[in-house]
Amino acid sequence: MSHKTNNKKKMERFDVLSNAVVFIFAICSLFPLYWLFTSSLKNSSDVVKMPPDWWPRTITFDNYVDIFKSQPALRWAFNSLFVSGVSTILVIVVGAMAAYAFSKLKFKGRNLIFVIFISSLMIPKEIMIVPLFRITQEFGMVNSYNGMIWPNVATAFGVFLLKGFFDATPNALREASRIDGAGEWRTFLQIMLPIVKPGIGALFILNFVQVWNDYLWQLVIGQEKSMKTLMVGTATLMQDLNPNFAYKMAGATVAAIPMLLIFLLFQRYFTQGMTAGAVKE
Amino acid sequence: MNSKRFLVTIVALILLTSIMAGCSSKNNEAGNNAGDSGKKEKVAIKVWLTPQWKGVLDATEPGADYDSFFKHAAEKFTAQYSKYDAKVDVEVIAGDQRDQLLNVNLSSGTPPDVIFESVFALGDYVHRGALAPLTDIVDDASKKDIAQSYWDSVTFGKDVYFYPFQNNPGTLVYNADMFKAAGLEKFVGGDTEIKTWTLAEYEEILKGLKDNLPKDKYSNAYPMALYAMNNQGDTWNLAYLRMFGNKFFDDQGNIVLDDANGVKAAAWLKKIKDAGYTNPGPESVSSNDVNGMFQNQQLAISFTNPVLFNNTKADMESGKLKKFDARLANIPSESGDPLSFTYVTGAGVFNTKDEKRMEVAKDFVKFFSTDPELVKSSKNAIPVRSSVAEEFKSEKPLFAAYDANSKYLFNFTGNVPGYSQLREVLYPELQALYMGASTPERAVKEYQTKGNKVIQTNKANSVIYGNQ
Repeated sequence: MSHKTNNKKKMERFDVLSNAVVFIFAICSLFPLYWLFTSSLKNSSDVVKMPPDWWPRTITFDNYVDIFKSQPALRWAFNSLFVSGVSTILVIVVGAMAAYAFSKLKFKGRNLIFVIFISSLMIPKEIMIVPLFRITQEFGMVNSYNGMIWPNVATAFGVFLLKGFFDATPNALREASRIDGAGEWRTFLQIMLPIVKPGIGALFILNFVQVWNDYLWQLVIGQEKSMKTLMVGTATLMQDLNPNFAYKMAGATVAAIPMLLIFLLFQRYFTQGMTAGAVKE
Repeated sequence: MNSKRFLVTIVALILLTSIMAGCSSKNNEAGNNAGDSGKKEKVAIKVWLTPQWKGVLDATEPGADYDSFFKHAAEKFTAQYSKYDAKVDVEVIAGDQRDQLLNVNLSSGTPPDVIFESVFALGDYVHRGALAPLTDIVDDASKKDIAQSYWDSVTFGKDVYFYPFQNNPGTLVYNADMFKAAGLEKFVGGDTEIKTWTLAEYEEILKGLKDNLPKDKYSNAYPMALYAMNNQGDTWNLAYLRMFGNKFFDDQGNIVLDDANGVKAAAWLKKIKDAGYTNPGPESVSSNDVNGMFQNQQLAISFTNPVLFNNTKADMESGKLKKFDARLANIPSESGDPLSFTYVTGAGVFNTKDEKRMEVAKDFVKFFSTDPELVKSSKNAIPVRSSVAEEFKSEKPLFAAYDANSKYLFNFTGNVPGYSQLREVLYPELQALYMGASTPERAVKEYQTKGNKVIQTNKANSVIYGNQ
């Protein structure tokens, strides 16, 4: 009995300790967000003050007023949302179909083509910027949503991620569906796709974040003021000689809020997607 | 049923994208159109600028923005232009986006036609052959109105590559209240003066601030700003290295810092750091950090230029900053002459290989750089034109002080090829010096060796040196 009580006490102590460690890590993770938000309510010189003000001495909303009043920040926010949203949906559509094909369909050169696909992930986008820009330019897509969206769709990441999920689904399901008379499309859409929903959720978040945060491509392609994304637009307002850090913090806060909402909405799928397939049953 | 819905969704998505893309701006690449709508041939040019000042004449105008001046200048230009039916598109790009945007567009053969920016940031593009000479659009009246030192900083080889418009001279800024609190009243200059101290006086000021600044009023405060975290504000560091008379570049455009005077300057920087006359840890402090510290009265002397100085004053007026008496001073030197440098801002024309566009671009640059009404906007920094400085001298009393300094200006870039790469070589040497990982002798020697290597490599590809 006393042995059990001792064990229980030990466990409780361990719980307290592990909770304390987790709490410290959570604080460390959340601190940059806190700092971002509070700095956006300061004036520029207070942002770099040493020792820092942990809470703004005087709160000012001027930075937000400046962003939304004197600049087309709402248009920039729409551009960011539209480009990230449409790119991500297209990546999911294309990626799911390709991943299904690589995982379940048998065709000549399947593995070789998949390896070529995966190899493209190893090439940093920066290397492709100039040729990609020239191609986009030839298509007349500079300063257009087409130019901002389509190059982001041509990524093998979605295929790579979703293939793993399709691989984890039993072949018997597909075979049963075919025996019951369902065609390949119907099997894909009604049987297989719902099973890989957690993977699609994870892909949605990862791809959305990646396109939302994309700076270089959106910078070179959206050169007109009205075609900038939030990331690029707010950076444009920084003067070299007089950098207003609080202004940049306000821009980053505005840019971060939709991301936080997206994450909160899709968090369930994201965590499911991360753990799915980890245990073989 | 579901598959149909899926297909319909995809088609709808693609249609939506296309519609949105159609609604968005078309590719507005500048180009020529021999349209029939008018008798004149249509020529469109693209102007890029980094944020400089808001409004046409100043930021108090309603709707003032960074592109206001150029939009107004474009309207005025196209209205009077008779050679072509010209269209001028203006885009603002951030300073830290400049090189990425220019390099991608240059590689793709679509650079802007005109760029308006600090000349020092664009010198490498001249050496690469990306910019066209503007010597043919400089007239005698402008040559007379703009001091030779400004022309020198925009001249590469034999040609002028930028039309100077305004400039931002670098000086020191000091907190006169802190000086007075430390009993250094005698060193405080007038509020419309750029005070010149001798090096001995400057050292006395630093010591006085260190020893006598009341700790109750100015806790955690230091005499002078010193920084070397990155290349930001490195021009002031370049000036400090000239304090003992080193001329930095020889006539062939090589760095010659490694002499007795260069070593003396590096040793002086190390000495004031070790004596506690500067903020601690300059190796990990940036110019933006020290600027914030100065504004928060944690530094008595810092670096500044007219834009920073005016913004600091404006922030005090608007209540964003606690008020204090900020005044200007020159960077002292052993000779007693002030060390003065400036960032000349002006327009350059890219070599787009399209003769008509280049012709219109040059005409536009000449127009806004010489038009009597438009050049008045240069008062937002310091005008390069004596006529404009004279016109605004009562409104802007510091113009005269800056003008008096212009004879001491040194060209901090030396217009050498690879200047942007050269900037990456300096701060690591200063960091090593401040951390004690290098001696003054070794720091200047290393900088000279590495810097000259950068210059030699870039000379090999420079059109100015006839190597391309």
